[in-house]
Amino acid sequence: MKTARLPLLLSGLSLLAVLWLAACKPSAPAGSTAPAGKAPVAKRVAVIVSTLNNPWFVVLAETARDRAKALGYEATIFDSQNDPAKESQHFDNVISSGYGAVLFNCTDAKGSIANVRRAKAAGIPVFCMDREIEANDAAVSQILSDNYSGCVALGQYFVEQVGETGQYVELLGIVADTNTWNRSKGFHSVVDRFPGLKMVAQQSAEFDRSKALEVLESILQSHPDIGAVFCGNDAMAMGAYQALLAAGKATKVKVFGFDGADDVVRSVAEGKITATVMQFPKTMAKTAAEYADKYLKGGRDFPQRVPVAVELVNRETVAKFGDYGRKN
Amino acid sequence: MPVEPSLPARRTASPRWLAFVLPVLAAVLLLVFPPFRVLPLKPGAAILDPAAAPVAFDAVTFSAVFWAAQLQPAAAVAPEWQPILVDLRRDPVAAAKQHGRQVGLGGPVYFFAQASGRVTAVERGRLLVAIDGEEGATVALRTGPVFGNTVRDGCGLLEVNRAPGLQEFNAISAELNRLVEERVLPVLKAGVVVGAHLTFAGCAEAPEKLGDGPLLTIIPVQAEVKP
Repeated sequence: MKTARLPLLLSGLSLLAVLWLAACKPSAPAGSTAPAGKAPVAKRVAVIVSTLNNPWFVVLAETARDRAKALGYEATIFDSQNDPAKESQHFDNVISSGYGAVLFNCTDAKGSIANVRRAKAAGIPVFCMDREIEANDAAVSQILSDNYSGCVALGQYFVEQVGETGQYVELLGIVADTNTWNRSKGFHSVVDRFPGLKMVAQQSAEFDRSKALEVLESILQSHPDIGAVFCGNDAMAMGAYQALLAAGKATKVKVFGFDGADDVVRSVAEGKITATVMQFPKTMAKTAAEYADKYLKGGRDFPQRVPVAVELVNRETVAKFGDYGRKN
Repeated sequence: MPVEPSLPARRTASPRWLAFVLPVLAAVLLLVFPPFRVLPLKPGAAILDPAAAPVAFDAVTFSAVFWAAQLQPAAAVAPEWQPILVDLRRDPVAAAKQHGRQVGLGGPVYFFAQASGRVTAVERGRLLVAIDGEEGATVALRTGPVFGNTVRDGCGLLEVNRAPGLQEFNAISAELNRLVEERVLPVLKAGVVVGAHLTFAGCAEAPEKLGDGPLLTIIPVQAEVKP
Protein backbone atom coordinates (compact mmCIF):
# COMPACT_ATOMS: atom_id res chain seq x y z
CA MET A 1 0.00 0.00 0.00
CA LYS A 2 2.81 2.32 1.00
CA THR A 3 4.91 1.50 -2.05
CA ALA A 4 1.92 1.87 -4.36
CA ARG A 5 1.50 5.48 -3.30
CA LEU A 6 5.08 6.50 -4.05
CA PRO A 7 4.85 6.80 -7.88
CA LEU A 8 1.78 8.97 -7.47
CA LEU A 9 3.62 11.14 -4.99
CA LEU A 10 6.66 11.44 -7.25
CA SER A 11 4.47 12.33 -10.25
CA GLY A 12 2.82 15.08 -8.24
CA LEU A 13 6.18 16.38 -7.12
CA SER A 14 7.48 16.33 -10.70
CA LEU A 15 4.50 18.36 -11.82
CA LEU A 16 5.10 20.87 -9.03
CA ALA A 17 8.77 21.01 -9.95
CA VAL A 18 7.90 21.80 -13.57
CA LEU A 19 5.57 24.57 -12.42
CA TRP A 20 8.24 25.90 -10.10
CA LEU A 21 10.90 25.90 -12.82
CA ALA A 22 8.53 27.70 -15.17
CA ALA A 23 7.89 30.29 -12.49
CA CYS A 24 11.61 30.89 -12.03
CA LYS A 25 11.93 32.45 -15.51
CA PRO A 26 12.25 36.20 -15.53
CA SER A 27 8.88 37.77 -16.17
CA ALA A 28 8.27 38.80 -19.74
CA PRO A 29 5.03 40.23 -21.00
CA ALA A 30 2.76 38.21 -23.23
CA GLY A 31 3.89 38.24 -26.80
CA SER A 32 7.53 38.90 -26.00
CA THR A 33 9.97 36.84 -27.96
CA ALA A 34 12.83 37.63 -25.64
CA PRO A 35 14.69 34.45 -24.82
CA ALA A 36 14.51 33.68 -21.14
CA GLY A 37 17.62 34.30 -19.17
CA LYS A 38 19.46 36.03 -22.02
CA ALA A 39 20.75 39.29 -20.60
CA PRO A 40 20.66 42.34 -22.88
CA VAL A 41 23.96 42.98 -24.58
CA ALA A 42 24.76 46.47 -23.36
CA LYS A 43 27.04 47.23 -26.28
CA ARG A 44 24.31 47.26 -28.93
CA VAL A 45 21.91 50.11 -29.47
CA ALA A 46 18.89 50.02 -31.79
CA VAL A 47 17.60 53.14 -33.52
CA ILE A 48 13.97 52.53 -34.47
CA VAL A 49 12.67 55.36 -36.63
CA SER A 50 9.17 55.99 -37.98
CA THR A 51 10.33 56.50 -41.57
CA LEU A 52 13.41 57.00 -43.67
CA ASN A 53 11.31 58.35 -46.52
CA ASN A 54 11.80 61.91 -45.24
CA PRO A 55 15.26 63.49 -45.07
CA TRP A 56 14.53 65.01 -41.67
CA PHE A 57 14.08 61.57 -40.12
CA VAL A 58 17.17 60.28 -41.92
CA VAL A 59 19.15 63.01 -40.16
CA LEU A 60 17.52 62.11 -36.82
CA ALA A 61 18.26 58.37 -37.19
CA GLU A 62 21.76 58.71 -38.57
CA THR A 63 22.77 61.24 -35.93
CA ALA A 64 21.47 58.92 -33.18
CA ARG A 65 23.33 55.99 -34.71
CA ASP A 66 26.57 57.95 -35.16
CA ARG A 67 26.48 59.37 -31.64
CA ALA A 68 25.90 55.89 -30.21
CA LYS A 69 28.83 54.59 -32.24
CA ALA A 70 31.01 57.45 -31.05
CA LEU A 71 30.13 56.44 -27.49
CA GLY A 72 31.39 52.93 -28.17
CA TYR A 73 28.25 51.00 -29.14
CA GLU A 74 27.28 48.96 -32.15
CA ALA A 75 24.24 50.78 -33.55
CA THR A 76 21.67 49.67 -36.10
CA ILE A 77 18.83 51.64 -37.70
CA PHE A 78 15.41 50.00 -38.12
CA ASP A 79 12.94 51.73 -40.49
CA SER A 80 9.28 51.30 -39.47
CA GLN A 81 8.07 52.82 -42.79
CA ASN A 82 5.27 54.58 -40.88
CA ASP A 83 3.76 51.16 -40.22
CA PRO A 84 2.99 50.25 -36.58
CA ALA A 85 3.09 46.53 -37.46
CA LYS A 86 6.63 46.86 -38.80
CA GLU A 87 7.60 48.84 -35.72
CA SER A 88 6.27 46.04 -33.52
CA GLN A 89 8.33 43.49 -35.47
CA HIS A 90 11.42 45.63 -34.98
CA PHE A 91 10.83 45.58 -31.23
CA ASP A 92 10.44 41.78 -31.34
CA ASN A 93 13.74 41.57 -33.15
CA VAL A 94 15.49 44.01 -30.82
CA ILE A 95 14.24 42.20 -27.71
CA SER A 96 15.13 38.73 -28.96
CA SER A 97 18.54 39.91 -30.19
CA GLY A 98 19.41 41.33 -26.80
CA TYR A 99 20.03 44.98 -27.62
CA GLY A 100 21.04 47.15 -24.70
CA ALA A 101 18.89 50.21 -25.46
CA VAL A 102 16.47 51.64 -28.02
CA LEU A 103 16.54 55.18 -29.40
CA PHE A 104 12.99 55.47 -30.60
CA ASN A 105 10.95 57.64 -32.94
CA CYS A 106 7.42 56.23 -32.80
CA THR A 107 4.74 55.76 -35.44
CA ASP A 108 1.80 56.22 -33.09
CA ALA A 109 1.62 58.13 -29.80
CA LYS A 110 -0.77 55.61 -28.27
CA GLY A 111 -0.22 52.47 -30.32
CA SER A 112 3.54 52.44 -29.76
CA ILE A 113 3.25 52.39 -25.96
CA ALA A 114 2.86 48.60 -25.91
CA ASN A 115 6.14 48.16 -27.78
CA VAL A 116 7.97 50.38 -25.31
CA ARG A 117 6.46 48.50 -22.40
CA ARG A 118 7.57 45.17 -23.88
CA ALA A 119 11.12 46.43 -24.20
CA LYS A 120 11.00 47.77 -20.65
CA ALA A 121 9.75 44.41 -19.36
CA ALA A 122 12.68 42.77 -21.12
CA GLY A 123 15.04 45.16 -19.35
CA ILE A 124 15.75 47.30 -22.41
CA PRO A 125 15.50 51.06 -21.79
CA VAL A 126 13.80 53.16 -24.46
CA PHE A 127 14.53 56.83 -25.16
CA CYS A 128 12.01 58.64 -27.37
CA MET A 129 13.17 61.20 -29.88
CA ASP A 130 11.02 63.92 -31.42
CA ARG A 131 7.71 62.04 -31.20
CA GLU A 132 5.97 61.59 -27.89
CA ILE A 133 4.32 58.44 -26.58
CA GLU A 134 1.34 59.18 -24.38
CA ALA A 135 2.60 57.40 -21.26
CA ASN A 136 4.78 58.63 -18.44
CA ASP A 137 5.94 55.26 -17.15
CA ALA A 138 7.15 53.42 -20.23
CA ALA A 139 10.12 55.22 -21.80
CA VAL A 140 13.04 56.26 -19.61
CA SER A 141 12.96 59.73 -21.14
CA GLN A 142 11.39 61.57 -24.08
CA ILE A 143 13.36 64.29 -25.84
CA LEU A 144 10.80 66.31 -27.79
CA SER A 145 10.61 69.47 -29.84
CA ASP A 146 8.55 72.26 -28.32
CA ASN A 147 6.15 72.17 -31.26
CA TYR A 148 3.49 74.29 -29.62
CA SER A 149 5.83 77.23 -28.99
CA GLY A 150 7.19 76.95 -32.52
CA CYS A 151 3.74 77.17 -34.01
CA VAL A 152 2.78 80.08 -31.76
CA ALA A 153 5.72 81.98 -33.26
CA LEU A 154 4.80 80.75 -36.74
CA GLY A 155 1.17 81.77 -36.20
CA GLN A 156 2.19 85.29 -35.21
CA TYR A 157 4.36 85.57 -38.31
CA PHE A 158 1.52 84.13 -40.40
CA VAL A 159 -0.77 86.97 -39.27
CA GLU A 160 1.94 89.55 -40.00
CA GLN A 161 2.46 88.18 -43.52
CA VAL A 162 -1.05 87.21 -44.56
CA GLY A 163 -2.86 89.98 -42.70
CA GLU A 164 -5.87 89.80 -40.45
CA THR A 165 -8.30 88.76 -43.18
CA GLY A 166 -8.27 86.08 -45.86
CA GLN A 167 -8.78 82.41 -46.55
CA TYR A 168 -6.28 79.69 -45.77
CA VAL A 169 -5.86 75.92 -45.74
CA GLU A 170 -4.25 73.71 -43.11
CA LEU A 171 -2.56 70.44 -44.04
CA LEU A 172 -2.31 68.24 -40.96
CA GLY A 173 0.26 65.53 -40.35
CA ILE A 174 -0.44 62.01 -39.09
CA VAL A 175 -3.49 62.31 -36.86
CA ALA A 176 -2.22 59.68 -34.38
CA ASP A 177 0.92 61.74 -33.73
CA THR A 178 0.75 64.27 -30.90
CA ASN A 179 3.18 66.51 -32.83
CA THR A 180 0.41 67.05 -35.37
CA TRP A 181 -1.93 68.43 -32.73
CA ASN A 182 0.66 70.35 -30.72
CA ARG A 183 1.58 72.19 -33.93
CA SER A 184 -2.00 72.73 -34.99
CA LYS A 185 -3.06 73.97 -31.55
CA GLY A 186 -0.10 76.33 -31.25
CA PHE A 187 -0.91 77.80 -34.66
CA HIS A 188 -4.63 78.14 -33.94
CA SER A 189 -4.00 79.64 -30.49
CA VAL A 190 -2.87 82.70 -32.44
CA VAL A 191 -4.67 82.67 -35.79
CA ASP A 192 -8.11 81.91 -34.37
CA ARG A 193 -7.95 85.23 -32.51
CA PHE A 194 -8.38 86.97 -35.84
CA PRO A 195 -11.93 86.27 -36.99
CA GLY A 196 -11.19 87.68 -40.45
CA LEU A 197 -8.87 84.73 -41.13
CA LYS A 198 -11.02 81.84 -42.37
CA MET A 199 -9.75 78.28 -42.58
CA VAL A 200 -11.63 76.91 -45.60
CA ALA A 201 -10.16 73.40 -45.48
CA GLN A 202 -8.25 71.29 -42.97
CA GLN A 203 -7.09 67.90 -44.16
CA SER A 204 -4.40 65.36 -43.30
CA ALA A 205 -1.65 64.68 -45.82
CA GLU A 206 0.13 62.44 -43.31
CA PHE A 207 3.41 64.40 -43.31
CA ASP A 208 3.93 63.18 -46.89
CA ARG A 209 5.05 65.34 -49.79
CA SER A 210 3.18 63.57 -52.59
CA LYS A 211 0.00 63.29 -50.52
CA ALA A 212 0.19 67.03 -49.80
CA LEU A 213 0.46 67.69 -53.53
CA GLU A 214 -2.63 65.61 -54.24
CA VAL A 215 -4.64 66.99 -51.32
CA LEU A 216 -3.93 70.62 -52.14
CA GLU A 217 -4.63 70.10 -55.85
CA SER A 218 -8.03 68.80 -54.86
CA ILE A 219 -8.69 71.64 -52.39
CA LEU A 220 -7.73 74.27 -54.97
CA GLN A 221 -10.55 73.03 -57.21
CA SER A 222 -13.13 74.11 -54.65
CA HIS A 223 -11.20 76.98 -53.01
CA PRO A 224 -9.24 78.79 -55.70
CA ASP A 225 -8.98 82.05 -53.72
CA ILE A 226 -6.90 80.98 -50.74
CA GLY A 227 -4.09 83.26 -49.63
CA ALA A 228 -2.03 80.85 -47.54
CA VAL A 229 -1.34 77.22 -46.65
CA PHE A 230 -0.14 76.17 -43.22
CA CYS A 231 1.55 72.75 -43.35
CA GLY A 232 2.37 70.63 -40.30
CA ASN A 233 5.79 69.75 -41.70
CA ASP A 234 8.23 70.74 -44.42
CA ALA A 235 7.67 67.72 -46.67
CA MET A 236 4.01 68.76 -46.98
CA ALA A 237 5.08 72.38 -47.51
CA MET A 238 7.15 71.30 -50.52
CA GLY A 239 4.23 69.24 -51.86
CA ALA A 240 1.88 72.19 -51.37
CA TYR A 241 4.31 74.49 -53.15
CA GLN A 242 4.46 72.08 -56.10
CA ALA A 243 0.66 72.05 -56.31
CA LEU A 244 0.55 75.84 -56.26
CA LEU A 245 3.29 76.02 -58.89
CA ALA A 246 1.32 73.69 -61.15
CA ALA A 247 -1.81 75.81 -60.62
CA GLY A 248 0.06 79.05 -61.38
CA LYS A 249 -0.51 80.36 -57.85
CA ALA A 250 2.95 79.97 -56.32
CA THR A 251 3.57 83.71 -56.13
CA LYS A 252 0.11 84.52 -54.76
CA VAL A 253 -0.29 81.93 -52.02
CA LYS A 254 2.04 81.94 -49.02
CA VAL A 255 3.25 78.56 -47.76
CA PHE A 256 4.32 77.89 -44.18
CA GLY A 257 6.05 74.71 -43.04
CA PHE A 258 7.61 73.17 -39.94
CA ASP A 259 10.87 71.21 -39.45
CA GLY A 260 13.72 73.25 -40.88
CA ALA A 261 14.52 70.73 -43.62
CA ASP A 262 17.38 71.85 -45.85
CA ASP A 263 15.32 72.16 -49.05
CA VAL A 264 12.73 74.30 -47.29
CA VAL A 265 15.33 76.51 -45.60
CA ARG A 266 16.77 77.12 -49.09
CA SER A 267 13.25 77.83 -50.38
CA VAL A 268 12.70 80.36 -47.59
CA ALA A 269 15.91 82.10 -48.64
CA GLU A 270 14.68 82.12 -52.25
CA GLY A 271 11.26 83.45 -51.24
CA LYS A 272 9.33 80.38 -52.38
CA ILE A 273 8.27 79.28 -48.90
CA THR A 274 7.34 82.09 -46.50
CA ALA A 275 8.56 80.52 -43.26
CA THR A 276 9.29 77.32 -41.41
CA VAL A 277 10.31 76.42 -37.88
CA MET A 278 13.71 74.91 -37.21
CA GLN A 279 13.61 71.82 -35.06
CA PHE A 280 16.93 70.47 -33.98
CA PRO A 281 16.98 66.76 -34.88
CA LYS A 282 20.69 66.46 -34.21
CA THR A 283 20.30 67.86 -30.70
CA MET A 284 17.45 65.45 -29.93
CA ALA A 285 19.26 62.43 -31.39
CA LYS A 286 22.54 63.15 -29.64
CA THR A 287 20.79 63.75 -26.32
CA ALA A 288 18.90 60.45 -26.62
CA ALA A 289 22.12 58.54 -27.37
CA GLU A 290 23.93 60.21 -24.48
CA TYR A 291 21.07 59.46 -22.09
CA ALA A 292 21.17 55.80 -23.19
CA ASP A 293 24.89 55.71 -22.56
CA LYS A 294 24.42 57.19 -19.08
CA TYR A 295 21.66 54.70 -18.34
CA LEU A 296 23.75 51.74 -19.43
CA LYS A 297 26.51 52.99 -17.17
CA GLY A 298 24.18 53.01 -14.19
CA GLY A 299 22.47 56.41 -14.34
CA ARG A 300 18.81 56.39 -13.39
CA ASP A 301 17.88 60.03 -12.86
CA PHE A 302 16.29 61.21 -16.11
CA PRO A 303 13.45 63.67 -16.68
CA GLN A 304 10.47 62.00 -18.34
CA ARG A 305 10.08 64.80 -20.91
CA VAL A 306 12.73 67.19 -22.13
CA PRO A 307 11.42 69.96 -24.39
CA VAL A 308 13.89 71.10 -27.04
CA ALA A 309 13.62 74.68 -28.25
CA VAL A 310 12.65 75.47 -31.85
CA GLU A 311 13.17 78.68 -33.82
CA LEU A 312 11.29 80.58 -36.50
CA VAL A 313 13.01 80.65 -39.90
CA ASN A 314 11.91 83.46 -42.19
CA ARG A 315 13.63 85.73 -44.70
CA GLU A 316 15.04 87.87 -41.89
CA THR A 317 16.52 84.96 -39.91
CA VAL A 318 17.25 82.33 -42.57
CA ALA A 319 20.94 83.20 -42.86
CA LYS A 320 21.47 81.86 -39.35
CA PHE A 321 20.26 78.36 -40.23
CA GLY A 322 21.37 75.39 -42.29
CA ASP A 323 22.21 71.70 -42.11
CA TYR A 324 19.31 71.01 -39.75
CA GLY A 325 20.33 73.51 -37.14
CA ARG A 326 21.97 76.85 -36.46
CA LYS A 327 25.09 77.62 -38.45
CA ASN A 328 28.16 77.86 -36.28
CA MET B 1 18.06 -25.70 -23.23
CA PRO B 2 16.38 -25.15 -20.03
CA VAL B 3 15.84 -21.58 -19.22
CA GLU B 4 16.33 -20.48 -15.69
CA PRO B 5 13.33 -18.78 -14.45
CA SER B 6 14.25 -15.20 -13.78
CA LEU B 7 13.75 -13.90 -10.36
CA PRO B 8 11.23 -11.18 -9.97
CA ALA B 9 12.96 -7.78 -9.51
CA ARG B 10 13.22 -6.87 -5.92
CA ARG B 11 11.31 -3.68 -5.20
CA THR B 12 13.15 -1.43 -2.83
CA ALA B 13 10.91 0.20 -0.34
CA SER B 14 11.38 4.04 -0.12
CA PRO B 15 12.23 5.38 3.28
CA ARG B 16 9.09 6.58 4.97
CA TRP B 17 10.59 9.94 5.80
CA LEU B 18 10.91 10.75 2.07
CA ALA B 19 7.14 10.87 1.72
CA PHE B 20 7.06 13.66 4.26
CA VAL B 21 10.23 15.58 3.39
CA LEU B 22 9.58 15.94 -0.34
CA PRO B 23 6.15 17.60 -0.03
CA VAL B 24 7.50 19.90 2.66
CA LEU B 25 10.46 20.81 0.42
CA ALA B 26 8.08 21.44 -2.51
CA ALA B 27 5.85 23.61 -0.33
CA VAL B 28 8.84 25.69 0.79
CA LEU B 29 10.03 26.10 -2.79
CA LEU B 30 6.58 27.17 -3.93
CA LEU B 31 6.41 29.66 -1.11
CA VAL B 32 9.78 31.17 -1.97
CA PHE B 33 9.35 30.97 -5.75
CA PRO B 34 5.61 31.09 -6.40
CA PRO B 35 4.63 29.92 -9.89
CA PHE B 36 2.66 33.12 -10.49
CA ARG B 37 2.03 36.42 -8.81
CA VAL B 38 -1.09 38.55 -8.92
CA LEU B 39 -0.23 42.09 -9.93
CA PRO B 40 -2.41 45.13 -10.56
CA LEU B 41 -2.81 45.96 -14.25
CA LYS B 42 -1.00 49.26 -13.76
CA PRO B 43 1.94 48.95 -11.40
CA GLY B 44 1.73 51.33 -8.50
CA ALA B 45 -1.97 52.06 -8.87
CA ALA B 46 -4.75 50.09 -7.30
CA ILE B 47 -7.40 49.95 -9.97
CA LEU B 48 -10.23 49.77 -7.48
CA ASP B 49 -9.09 52.92 -5.72
CA PRO B 50 -11.16 55.78 -7.19
CA ALA B 51 -8.40 58.23 -6.29
CA ALA B 52 -5.98 56.25 -8.43
CA ALA B 53 -8.32 55.85 -11.39
CA PRO B 54 -7.23 57.82 -14.45
CA VAL B 55 -9.09 61.10 -14.71
CA ALA B 56 -9.08 63.32 -17.79
CA PHE B 57 -6.86 66.32 -17.18
CA ASP B 58 -8.88 69.52 -16.82
CA ALA B 59 -6.67 72.44 -17.78
CA VAL B 60 -9.35 75.01 -16.93
CA THR B 61 -9.77 73.87 -13.34
CA PHE B 62 -6.06 73.24 -12.88
CA SER B 63 -5.18 76.72 -14.15
CA ALA B 64 -7.84 78.48 -12.08
CA VAL B 65 -6.58 76.82 -8.90
CA PHE B 66 -2.96 77.44 -9.85
CA TRP B 67 -3.70 81.10 -10.60
CA ALA B 68 -5.24 81.76 -7.21
CA ALA B 69 -3.20 79.47 -4.99
CA GLN B 70 0.28 79.79 -6.47
CA LEU B 71 0.72 82.42 -9.16
CA GLN B 72 -0.86 85.39 -7.39
CA PRO B 73 0.96 84.82 -4.07
CA ALA B 74 4.25 84.35 -5.96
CA ALA B 75 3.67 87.57 -7.92
CA ALA B 76 3.19 89.47 -4.66
CA VAL B 77 6.66 88.46 -3.45
CA ALA B 78 8.48 88.39 -6.83
CA PRO B 79 11.85 90.17 -7.04
CA GLU B 80 12.07 93.72 -8.40
CA TRP B 81 12.50 94.43 -12.11
CA GLN B 82 14.83 97.33 -11.43
CA PRO B 83 18.09 95.40 -10.71
CA ILE B 84 17.30 92.99 -13.55
CA LEU B 85 16.97 95.90 -15.98
CA VAL B 86 20.21 97.45 -14.73
CA ASP B 87 22.06 94.20 -15.48
CA LEU B 88 20.19 93.71 -18.74
CA ARG B 89 21.33 97.10 -20.04
CA ARG B 90 24.89 96.24 -19.08
CA ASP B 91 25.06 92.68 -20.45
CA PRO B 92 21.94 90.79 -21.61
CA VAL B 93 23.64 87.38 -21.57
CA ALA B 94 24.98 87.79 -18.04
CA ALA B 95 21.63 89.17 -16.84
CA ALA B 96 19.85 86.14 -18.25
CA LYS B 97 22.25 83.82 -16.45
CA GLN B 98 21.95 85.67 -13.17
CA HIS B 99 18.25 86.43 -12.99
CA GLY B 100 16.54 84.14 -15.51
CA ARG B 101 15.47 80.55 -15.79
CA GLN B 102 15.66 78.36 -18.87
CA VAL B 103 13.21 75.63 -19.79
CA GLY B 104 14.35 72.47 -21.59
CA LEU B 105 17.26 72.21 -23.99
CA GLY B 106 18.18 75.51 -25.62
CA GLY B 107 14.89 77.10 -24.70
CA PRO B 108 14.34 80.80 -24.03
CA VAL B 109 15.30 82.36 -20.71
CA TYR B 110 12.51 83.97 -18.70
CA PHE B 111 12.28 86.54 -15.93
CA PHE B 112 9.49 86.90 -13.37
CA ALA B 113 9.48 90.14 -11.33
CA GLN B 114 7.48 93.15 -10.15
CA ALA B 115 7.88 96.90 -10.52
CA SER B 116 6.19 100.26 -10.60
CA GLY B 117 6.47 102.84 -13.32
CA ARG B 118 4.86 105.59 -15.32
CA VAL B 119 3.13 105.10 -18.68
CA THR B 120 5.00 106.91 -21.46
CA ALA B 121 2.96 105.70 -24.43
CA VAL B 122 -0.27 103.86 -25.14
CA GLU B 123 0.07 101.78 -28.30
CA ARG B 124 -1.97 99.09 -30.02
CA GLY B 125 -1.56 95.95 -27.90
CA ARG B 126 0.92 97.44 -25.42
CA LEU B 127 1.82 100.17 -22.98
CA LEU B 128 5.32 101.59 -22.71
CA VAL B 129 6.31 102.07 -19.09
CA ALA B 130 9.33 103.91 -17.64
CA ILE B 131 10.40 101.92 -14.59
CA ASP B 132 10.75 103.84 -11.32
CA GLY B 133 14.31 104.09 -10.03
CA GLU B 134 16.05 103.31 -13.31
CA GLU B 135 16.19 106.29 -15.60
CA GLY B 136 15.84 105.44 -19.26
CA ALA B 137 14.68 101.89 -18.60
CA THR B 138 11.49 101.43 -20.58
CA VAL B 139 9.60 98.17 -20.89
CA ALA B 140 6.53 97.19 -22.88
CA LEU B 141 3.55 95.86 -20.98
CA ARG B 142 1.41 93.67 -23.22
CA THR B 143 -2.27 94.61 -23.40
CA GLY B 144 -3.19 92.81 -26.61
CA PRO B 145 -3.86 89.09 -27.11
CA VAL B 146 -1.48 86.90 -25.12
CA PHE B 147 0.14 83.92 -26.87
CA GLY B 148 2.76 81.33 -26.10
CA ASN B 149 4.32 79.93 -22.95
CA THR B 150 5.79 83.02 -21.31
CA VAL B 151 3.49 82.94 -18.28
CA ARG B 152 3.54 79.16 -17.85
CA ASP B 153 7.31 78.81 -18.20
CA GLY B 154 8.34 82.25 -17.01
CA CYS B 155 6.80 82.08 -13.55
CA GLY B 156 9.00 79.12 -12.64
CA LEU B 157 6.23 77.38 -10.75
CA LEU B 158 5.21 74.76 -13.30
CA GLU B 159 7.28 71.87 -14.56
CA VAL B 160 6.57 69.90 -17.72
CA ASN B 161 6.77 66.54 -15.97
CA ARG B 162 3.94 67.43 -13.61
CA ALA B 163 1.50 67.33 -16.53
CA PRO B 164 0.24 64.08 -18.06
CA GLY B 165 1.71 65.02 -21.44
CA LEU B 166 2.74 67.87 -23.70
CA GLN B 167 -0.78 68.46 -25.00
CA GLU B 168 -2.04 68.96 -21.45
CA PHE B 169 0.94 71.15 -20.59
CA ASN B 170 0.21 73.30 -23.63
CA ALA B 171 -3.45 73.52 -22.64
CA ILE B 172 -2.30 75.06 -19.33
CA SER B 173 -0.48 77.76 -21.31
CA ALA B 174 -3.55 78.59 -23.34
CA GLU B 175 -5.69 78.78 -20.21
CA LEU B 176 -3.24 80.93 -18.25
CA ASN B 177 -3.08 83.31 -21.21
CA ARG B 178 -6.86 83.49 -21.20
CA LEU B 179 -6.85 84.29 -17.48
CA VAL B 180 -4.37 87.12 -18.07
CA GLU B 181 -6.66 88.55 -20.73
CA GLU B 182 -9.74 88.12 -18.57
CA ARG B 183 -8.42 89.26 -15.19
CA VAL B 184 -5.46 91.56 -15.73
CA LEU B 185 -5.59 93.25 -19.11
CA PRO B 186 -8.94 95.00 -18.53
CA VAL B 187 -7.27 96.95 -15.69
CA LEU B 188 -4.59 98.18 -18.08
CA LYS B 189 -6.91 98.93 -20.97
CA ALA B 190 -9.59 100.82 -19.08
CA GLY B 191 -8.72 104.46 -19.31
CA VAL B 192 -4.97 104.21 -18.80
CA VAL B 193 -3.39 107.34 -20.25
CA VAL B 194 0.14 108.62 -20.64
CA GLY B 195 1.41 109.67 -17.23
CA ALA B 196 -0.58 107.07 -15.29
CA HIS B 197 1.34 105.33 -12.53
CA LEU B 198 1.23 101.52 -12.42
CA THR B 199 2.39 98.71 -10.21
CA PHE B 200 2.57 95.32 -11.82
CA ALA B 201 4.17 91.88 -11.77
CA GLY B 202 4.77 89.75 -14.82
CA CYS B 203 6.86 87.43 -16.92
CA ALA B 204 9.08 88.22 -19.89
CA GLU B 205 11.39 86.43 -22.27
CA ALA B 206 14.99 87.60 -22.02
CA PRO B 207 16.21 89.28 -25.20
CA GLU B 208 19.34 87.87 -26.87
CA LYS B 209 20.47 91.43 -27.55
CA LEU B 210 19.01 94.86 -26.98
CA GLY B 211 17.33 96.84 -29.74
CA ASP B 212 16.25 100.46 -29.93
CA GLY B 213 12.81 99.89 -28.42
CA PRO B 214 11.73 98.79 -24.95
CA LEU B 215 14.14 96.50 -23.10
CA LEU B 216 11.63 93.66 -23.09
CA THR B 217 7.93 92.84 -23.32
CA ILE B 218 6.29 91.83 -20.05
CA ILE B 219 3.08 89.85 -19.80
CA PRO B 220 1.43 91.09 -16.61
CA VAL B 221 -0.15 88.64 -14.17
CA GLN B 222 -0.96 91.39 -11.66
CA ALA B 223 -1.54 95.08 -12.32
CA GLU B 224 -2.91 98.08 -10.50
CA VAL B 225 -3.32 101.64 -11.69
CA LYS B 226 -2.45 104.14 -8.98
CA PRO B 227 -4.54 107.26 -8.71
